[in-house]
Amino acid sequence: MKALVKLSLVWRSRFGYLLFGLLLAELSVCSLFLLMGQTGGRLSSAIIGVALGFGLLRIAGVARIVLRYLERLVAHDATFKALTDLRVWFYRRLSEGAAAGLGFRRSGDLLSRLVSDIQSLDNLYLRILIPLAAAFISLPILVIICLHAGVGGALTLTIALLFALIAFLLPYLTARSTYRLGPDLQQAQARLQIKALDMATGLREMRIFGAEERMCQALEDDQETLYLLQKQQGRRMAALHASALLLSRLGGIAVLCACVGIFYHKPDIIAGVTIFFVVTSALDMINDLPRAGLLAGQACHAAERVASVVTERPLPGGYINTLPEYFDIQCHQLSFGWPGKGLILEDASFFLKSGEKAILLGPSGSGKSSLAALLLRVVSPRSGYITLDGINIEDVRDETLRNKVAWLSQNSHLFDDTIRHNLLLGREGIADDALWDALEKAQIADFVRSLPDGLDHWIGENGSHLSGGQGRRIALARVLLSSAPVLILDEPAAGLDLETEKAFLETINRIDRRRSVLLITHRLTGVERPDHIWRLEKKKIVAQPI
Amino acid sequence: MKADKKIIKSWVRQQNRTSRSITMSIALLGFVNVMMGVVQAWSLAHIFAQLLMQHVSDVQMLLVIFIICCVVRVLLSYLQELMALSAGQSARRRLRHHILERIMVAGPVLLRQNHSAKLATLLVDRVEMLDGYFARWLPASMLWVVAQWSIVAIVAWQNWHAGLVLGLCCLALPFLQAIFGIATAVASRRQFLAMSRLQTRFLDRIRGIATIVLSGNAERDAQDLRTAAEEFRHRTMKVLRVAFMASATTDIVMIVALVWIVVSQSHALMHDHSVDHASAALFAVFMVPEAFATFRALSASYQDKSHVNETAEAVHTLPQPSSSHGHDPAEKEEGAHAVLYDGRGISLVVKDVSYRWSEDRPPTLLDINFALEPGQTALLEGVSGAGKSTLIELLLGFIQPQKGQIFLGGVAMNTMSAEAITRHISWIGQRPVLFAGTLRENILFAHPNAREEEIQHALEASRVSQYLADLPDGLNTVIGEGGFGLSGGQAQRIAIARAFLKNSPLLVMDEPTAHLDPETEQDILEALKLLLQGRTALIATHSSQFKTLETTYHMTLDAGHIVSQEPKQ
Repeated sequence: MKALVKLSLVWRSRFGYLLFGLLLAELSVCSLFLLMGQTGGRLSSAIIGVALGFGLLRIAGVARIVLRYLERLVAHDATFKALTDLRVWFYRRLSEGAAAGLGFRRSGDLLSRLVSDIQSLDNLYLRILIPLAAAFISLPILVIICLHAGVGGALTLTIALLFALIAFLLPYLTARSTYRLGPDLQQAQARLQIKALDMATGLREMRIFGAEERMCQALEDDQETLYLLQKQQGRRMAALHASALLLSRLGGIAVLCACVGIFYHKPDIIAGVTIFFVVTSALDMINDLPRAGLLAGQACHAAERVASVVTERPLPGGYINTLPEYFDIQCHQLSFGWPGKGLILEDASFFLKSGEKAILLGPSGSGKSSLAALLLRVVSPRSGYITLDGINIEDVRDETLRNKVAWLSQNSHLFDDTIRHNLLLGREGIADDALWDALEKAQIADFVRSLPDGLDHWIGENGSHLSGGQGRRIALARVLLSSAPVLILDEPAAGLDLETEKAFLETINRIDRRRSVLLITHRLTGVERPDHIWRLEKKKIVAQPI
Repeated sequence: MKADKKIIKSWVRQQNRTSRSITMSIALLGFVNVMMGVVQAWSLAHIFAQLLMQHVSDVQMLLVIFIICCVVRVLLSYLQELMALSAGQSARRRLRHHILERIMVAGPVLLRQNHSAKLATLLVDRVEMLDGYFARWLPASMLWVVAQWSIVAIVAWQNWHAGLVLGLCCLALPFLQAIFGIATAVASRRQFLAMSRLQTRFLDRIRGIATIVLSGNAERDAQDLRTAAEEFRHRTMKVLRVAFMASATTDIVMIVALVWIVVSQSHALMHDHSVDHASAALFAVFMVPEAFATFRALSASYQDKSHVNETAEAVHTLPQPSSSHGHDPAEKEEGAHAVLYDGRGISLVVKDVSYRWSEDRPPTLLDINFALEPGQTALLEGVSGAGKSTLIELLLGFIQPQKGQIFLGGVAMNTMSAEAITRHISWIGQRPVLFAGTLRENILFAHPNAREEEIQHALEASRVSQYLADLPDGLNTVIGEGGFGLSGGQAQRIAIARAFLKNSPLLVMDEPTAHLDPETEQDILEALKLLLQGRTALIATHSSQFKTLETTYHMTLDAGHIVSQEPKQ
């Protein structure tokens, strides 16, 4: 709940508009009360032979239609605004702190899950806050109407009590029940998803080892586990919903009893009929609130997960705005380990002179990538420090550093967009000539020229319309487009076949002599032309003769 | 495209048919519920009429009827909800089974055109999304017309004037819906596309957030995101302004009916003071919301309907289940028994084999010929795109050649069932798929009934045993998605252990060491040498280290042809 409140603070600047939406919703409720009250009142007056005008009835009818329309329009508009705010807020927070770390550790799936959490928070305003808040305001209005009509305190109290039970207690119970059952359900669902993904990726293995039937059976077993939980939840929801319905009927019955003169003091019959119409429509209106409780229970979990990620503290920013055009990099006795894990670098040092090219070798999982993370200041070393021409990297502003140190890895993402936008990544004021120049240097210009749309060719999800080597070259062109004097290439050719990898590395050999390059890789192909070869051994960096 | 739509429609219809009985029962309960509502309104109208006219005769009795109706209706709704729950579940269960079958029949070739994540989404999320369609939409669509017009008829019978008004309003509803609905349908579909594009874009940005942050463009991109979302909001609101008109028509029609009936009945009541007339007027008013309730339920689950078409489209990208093999499976099984091999391996003969993936593309393989005697090992080289993977998929029986034949142990492969073929083959790819589960389960995957000593042998021979001690729980360490991360070399050794355990006479390998560093590769090679003993093998590889193997052939594939085939001395 705390996380939910915290996240709704994202909408602080929209409170006025959100309140306006709520106001319209409440006015629409009031017009319904008026309409139903008028219906009951006028009709019963006519029955006892008293002629009254129908003006108010007609006005109430028109008002209800117009207000309901406006309410929906404003509520949706506000929802879209809230949705934008939430996404942009999430994006910013992620990009400040957790993102770099998460992205570095290839948590693409974790990130996707977070996105679906954000999506489930979209409901917050429209389906949870508005109905609940409207019910909260409607209750006193209903009480005033009852008292004003003179149906007596006892009946009013009964109705108010029933209203509160349906609008607040039942949704609370639903929320609590879904909140408690939520993790189990989610886990069961996740297990089913993992099984399905395992199955889809392992289709070959399944066929080869004759495991198709076994795996299908296992998937269907997991499905049954999920369905059992769903059934439990569904039964509980049905029971809660039936209780809500029963309570709202009780309200009608109570008014009827009063009219007949059972249990309650008998009111004026016209007032009784009027109140019956108002009360039944008011109670019917809040019947769906237990469903809002269901959503609230789910939203709570989503909010907790989102909050836990974005509260990861960003590294303190530096203050130095300018770095020399070209600079030497020196690492002094760095020690590093990911949070909660052991050291992967211990007293590692190296010196890379401006314009030199170095290769860092080491088996997979030995901590080569964490060196890249340190140089990009995504993480801080536990001890030791890095200097750029004598300036400590910790003192440099993130943006300044990232304009000077460019990064390319097998995890470099290609966006589901055009080649142009993939190269620019939002930068403006760069001429096409510069783009072609970068593509030329990455040796992919001919291919791009051969495409019917050229630079505006759409490359698909993570470059799926390109071959592996082409995708890597586009990513390289993106890096070369920046004027960064230092390039960190972290296994840029992993996953390519040997020929393609060699061709790619040869392209890298031709990179501008003034730029420093640190190539991180697990093997040499024979085409590299480095100034240094370093090897990561026993958490230290050891120079190796070329 | 039109034919596709027809197929999709007939598929949806077939789904509807299969769940018809439970849909009918839910709709029937709904109808009984509506009829109880009629009785309820009737008793209520009489109570109020008698009280107002001060002509009380059987109010207590009517009150009891009213209360009973209330309780029964609550129970019926409860029952309806429970039935909808199980209707949704059984439909999803059936659908998932159907999709699973189609995926299994199509087999591994599916991965050529489909991303595995897409298949997994189809199998889980898309099926789950259809709950509302089967649980709510189908019963509601069956019920609403009948329920609405039954109410109109009953009201007309009690009070023909009010019945006429209600009937007119109900008649107007579809027209008004159509006028606003058709105008918005196209736009809202486009809007839905824009929405999903925006979502995809957001997801894409989040996945690639490290790339953006590290290129120093995060803030600019956040601005872009806001602009795109704002623009989307503006466009959507334009559509919604009209779309809400469509949903407002239900409000309009209902309120018009209500006000009209109240006004006209009141005028009539001024002249006719009878209890019957009064109760008929009240009854008509109480029935107005009931008359539109079923339609409201239908509109509420409208988006459920769009899901079913999307799923149907996705299902139809999977190949049809019937088109896999030409022969009767029983007959194929016969063929399998004749496959000849002994402890030295199996013979493999590829004769004039050609394959093309589609008619409009050049053949991937053209007239491939080679023969391996039992126990021989061949290396297959060729740049990517030369057709190596296609050749391997042919050998594994995932696809069938359009021309030529492959003989396994002297038996033509097209006479064997898929199971019979794979029974004789082990395959090691670039990176094995490790399933979520323990290491033991992952190895036993190849042979679930293996004896303990067989497992031990496989662990030793594949050198999995070398790193077992480093794992937190040894053989019971959970690996795969969400489990302990294994390095490429460690994973590949699991693939080798699987092959040992399966113990089949033919080995097919596709770049088994492509992702490994030289030392690890050397290690894997040692394990592979052991595996090759007494087996026939075809290994596609670029690595020079494999040249140290005792091989029979070096084949090089180029643009679908075998360009060199040197026997080794």
